[in-house]
Amino acid sequence: MSLLQEEREIILSNEYVDNFDFAEVTEFVKNASKDLFISHHFKNKNNKKMLVQPRGGFPTYKKQFALNEFFVKANVDVLPLTIDSNTRLNDYATAKKMLRLSEENDVDMLNGYPLVNHGYRTTRKMITHFNKPVSLRHGTPDARLLIETAIASGIFEIEGGPITYLLPYSKNFPLDKAFLYWKYVERVCANYSKLNEPINRESFGPLTATLVPPSITIVIQLLEMLLSLEEGVKSFSVSFAQQGSMNQDIVTGAVIKKLAKYYAEQINCGDATINLVYHQWMGAFPTNKDHAEQLINMATVIASMVGADKIITKTREEASGIPTKEANAKTVANTQYTLGILNGLPNVVDEEEEEMLTLQVKAIMEAVFNDPADTLWRKVFNSIKNGIIDVPFSPHIINHNNMITIRDAKKNIRIIKRGNVPIPDRCYAYDKAQCDLTKDTTSIVNDIIHDIGIMQ
Amino acid sequence: MGDYALGVNYMKVVTGVVGNDIHVVANRLIELSLDARGYEVFNLGVNTYLEEFFDAVVETGAEILMISSLNGEAEGWSREVKLLKAKYKGLDDLIMMIGGNLVVGTGNAEDIIPRYKNYGFDIVCHQVDLNTGLDMLETLLEERSIKSSNTIKNTTKNKTKNTTESND
Repeated sequence: MSLLQEEREIILSNEYVDNFDFAEVTEFVKNASKDLFISHHFKNKNNKKMLVQPRGGFPTYKKQFALNEFFVKANVDVLPLTIDSNTRLNDYATAKKMLRLSEENDVDMLNGYPLVNHGYRTTRKMITHFNKPVSLRHGTPDARLLIETAIASGIFEIEGGPITYLLPYSKNFPLDKAFLYWKYVERVCANYSKLNEPINRESFGPLTATLVPPSITIVIQLLEMLLSLEEGVKSFSVSFAQQGSMNQDIVTGAVIKKLAKYYAEQINCGDATINLVYHQWMGAFPTNKDHAEQLINMATVIASMVGADKIITKTREEASGIPTKEANAKTVANTQYTLGILNGLPNVVDEEEEEMLTLQVKAIMEAVFNDPADTLWRKVFNSIKNGIIDVPFSPHIINHNNMITIRDAKKNIRIIKRGNVPIPDRCYAYDKAQCDLTKDTTSIVNDIIHDIGIMQ
Repeated sequence: MGDYALGVNYMKVVTGVVGNDIHVVANRLIELSLDARGYEVFNLGVNTYLEEFFDAVVETGAEILMISSLNGEAEGWSREVKLLKAKYKGLDDLIMMIGGNLVVGTGNAEDIIPRYKNYGFDIVCHQVDLNTGLDMLETLLEERSIKSSNTIKNTTKNKTKNTTESND
């Protein structure tokens, strides 16, 4: 028996798992409907239509089923399954208790679907009933049991990664452990990918959604992609969120597509399919619900300009908490409508900005690869530890927080203090030249506060 | 304001977000602003428990403890401040400041401020903007004329700091 299989058996002999049947699950994946695989949809997109996927998860099976019915009526392309926060922290006991309370009282005591507690036999009934691809949305540093349950349920897209699910969400969880736990996830996904269509892995590009410069976003996307491909994953989505400047989004999209292909080929994984996912605005949302709808609509237009393969939607209720299924489905229908009428988009190319961004990304990637560690994950780990990668506004203790970013007059995110990140001098000077830096720090802090709340 | 640039007021501040609160944005901005005003900042970040704050004050010899909260759970923790502080020796002169959203849900400042003063805080800022809050701290320091006594030890440190910055 392989080491991986031994580890799998330990993980799946958890007291909250009801007798995981490896042979049956393998048979299920082998014979599963192609429609359940988002990788299959990416490959066979009619007229290159962007796939639309909302966010959403409710504690009970009944409510999740009802939400999915609403989404299907709204012509959804990809269904979400958002996992509750207890499960994300591997606290299945609390999730179980809260699920029971939710079922008995008809009040939601969890902010998502406790997949491990529901189990794969139950959940699979729902997934196969709708016969749409489902994307697993969570935020779990140790997702080993969760993704085993997900794939056994028929969920063939797994979001997350060791960096993007840790740096924005956690203060103390050890990053080196996260890399190893995610290595398990990649291997399991890679192995299942041999049976039918590939399991798609997706990285979480929005990170802290607070003034993250595109170079940092792209570097982290590329590194999680490489960590995934080197384990044998054959379908991967890089992603980023609306940044606040249409031009910067278009430039980011162009550079990330080009460099994802380039770096995948560098490690002889050019045969993997790389997709691009765009998140509608992930920062602070307007409380005015009509304004929220305008923002969402604009994001859809930008996603089309960027040429995304999938868009992940927000709702008009974003500022006020977990959205109702009605509001959530409405966004899906509206986004589909907007995509349907967006025709004859111009092709915008900004060569200077693309060059600057490419130089930044390549310089950081080179510094990561030059780390003397023996494996890629250790190189990445060291690079975060020594500040070569620095994510603005990450709460994690390992993050340096020495990079400072601000918006220029056109609302592009610019680096005005690079910390230990090896931004080339030329790019650094270029970024700073776009901003008014004659102000004192107090005014700059006020500008940053304004720049964070730009959409409110 | 010119005084700060000269490094006259170089005091130590321990800051962080109390409890299981993970809201990090304002915490970073507080650090930036304190730094700009010439304080030496020890930022414990989000998700910090009361004991950690007081331990850090003892460890660093900070004169000021600045606690923040966004989700409002500060109130639950603040009830224990006096008890806990009494267990530490030599913290009588520590300036205690708290700011952010200080209640879960809504409440008005007239009720909240006296309550928190009673918990042991010298300055209470409920939904007050960052710079106004920091100005309040300056005023208190001037009233207690603490600033001048700290002049001497600062000069060298600030020089080192400026050198580091010019490298970047």
